Amino acid sequence: MIELRIHGRGGQGVVTLAEMLAQIALAAGKNAQTMPFFGVERRGANVKTSVRLSDEPIKNRSQSTTPDVLVLMHANLFDAAMADGEHADAYFVISSTEPVQMQQKCWYFDGISIALENDLVVDGEPYVNIPMLGALCKVLDLPKELMIEQISKKWSDKRGLPNVRAATKAYETVTA
Amino acid sequence: MGINTNRTKLDTGNNACAEAVKLAAPDIIAAYPITPQTSVSEKLASYVDEGVLHARYIPVESEHSAISAVAAASAAGARTFTATSSQGILYMNEILHYTAGGRLPVVLVNVNRAINAPWCLYVDHQDSASQRDTGWLQLYAGDNQEIHDYVLLAYRTAEEAMIPTMVCYDGFLLSHSMLPYEPIEEEIARKYLPDRDPDWCLHPAYGRKTFAQVTPAFEYSEFRKRLAQESALALDVIKDRGAELDALTGHNVCSHVKPYRNEDADYLIVSMGSMGVEAEMSADILRNQGIKAGSLRVRTFRPFPAETFVELIPEGTSVIVLDRNYAYGTGGGIILQELKEALYGRKVSVRIAGTSIGVGGMELPAQHMADTVKDVILSAWNDKI
Repeated sequence: MIELRIHGRGGQGVVTLAEMLAQIALAAGKNAQTMPFFGVERRGANVKTSVRLSDEPIKNRSQSTTPDVLVLMHANLFDAAMADGEHADAYFVISSTEPVQMQQKCWYFDGISIALENDLVVDGEPYVNIPMLGALCKVLDLPKELMIEQISKKWSDKRGLPNVRAATKAYETVTA
Repeated sequence: MGINTNRTKLDTGNNACAEAVKLAAPDIIAAYPITPQTSVSEKLASYVDEGVLHARYIPVESEHSAISAVAAASAAGARTFTATSSQGILYMNEILHYTAGGRLPVVLVNVNRAINAPWCLYVDHQDSASQRDTGWLQLYAGDNQEIHDYVLLAYRTAEEAMIPTMVCYDGFLLSHSMLPYEPIEEEIARKYLPDRDPDWCLHPAYGRKTFAQVTPAFEYSEFRKRLAQESALALDVIKDRGAELDALTGHNVCSHVKPYRNEDADYLIVSMGSMGVEAEMSADILRNQGIKAGSLRVRTFRPFPAETFVELIPEGTSVIVLDRNYAYGTGGGIILQELKEALYGRKVSVRIAGTSIGVGGMELPAQHMADTVKDVILSAWNDKI
């Protein structure tokens, strides 16, 4: 089993990201689970969601405190993520405009630029959740075709194409 | 073990619930939104709006009105549905008694959430477990498949036993978590649960029948005696109709108690709801430490499946009950009390102890439950473990 914990801020689309990732894993034949943690959310408040992917049925019914992968929608969520625990060999996947220096193994990609390039902007805010979906599919070795299929299913209208482009760009540019 | 991607769907517990309600095709739905139940009633409202569910949806102003509306509609012969959580089910309490006393086969979904005060959004079982003596039957799901299937089982049971039935599941941990499940096919659902065919109803078309007079003691006591007796007998209805549903779906999720590694266990963990699924991992952790543990998860809470526990708990076993609720004034939880009562005089060398954990949404990872079990073993019996 692989456990992820996604840290973001209210309004960034973390729940959608987790759900789409789990759907792609399911389509790839894996057992999948998303477990969002709901506070009394406000836009901009810290939020988190656990995601578990496994070849076996998943019996966990609690938030992950020892994730294998810590997903940060922005590098400034590092402290919040560390406060909730991690696995000793955990690695990070971070949306960041510049290379991230840290002790742990880290994948990063420029989610904000990808969002801006593809006009994934709502109320002036670039949305990095779909670029993050692309990066995670690459890191977790989930097939790009299933990712594209899932995004196209989610947005069958004209919103589909820019989202597919953004996810594909992140899939291809995320680096360790 | 892989997964059948053709039949398996990944969805939240609340959506799995609403899908099952759609299959059950109720005539009347009345519900008032409350976290974490809200998306059930929203989904059903949108089904009605889209015309895929031909029900009358009554947007009531409170939970008391929701249960009153469905109770009255049920008396008039309709198949009915309502859903709530926490303060909502407490506000329904008066009419819960009325519904059971009136032998009205209402189905209610309670998405478990802690009760006030202090104000809290997260899961525990105090809300529905404290409705133990309303006369309702209560089933508790551990995953989204069970939520989906138990809604249909609840209708079959309620309409056969003529006792209202509650399906309960954990707020957020199941209601908002996406887990894989296989939706029941519509044809199977229709075969399993045909339209309601009431023996009697308070409806002008069936002539006037009313019990509006104050009931004399003898008749009243007969009504209540029959409810008590037939509630106990409803265990067989749940068991048989569950077996029938499992046979049709191939799901194997309907039984009063879900056992795990119990056959050679020295210590058995008893719990209810989603924590009972992770408790199986706790049993594995304890086994790795040399403690022969197993798990028994309560699925049917009302009526309490005493005989099933008598069968599943051999002499010489020690039982640790982890309750996600309190039986105030007893030092433990409600299932601990129930299980002691069930085994009293039936087992001479079974020891039972327990504690209340996970209240108000405190996280219950497998390791924490395993540690708690050891704490109970040490404090209650001082065993060398």
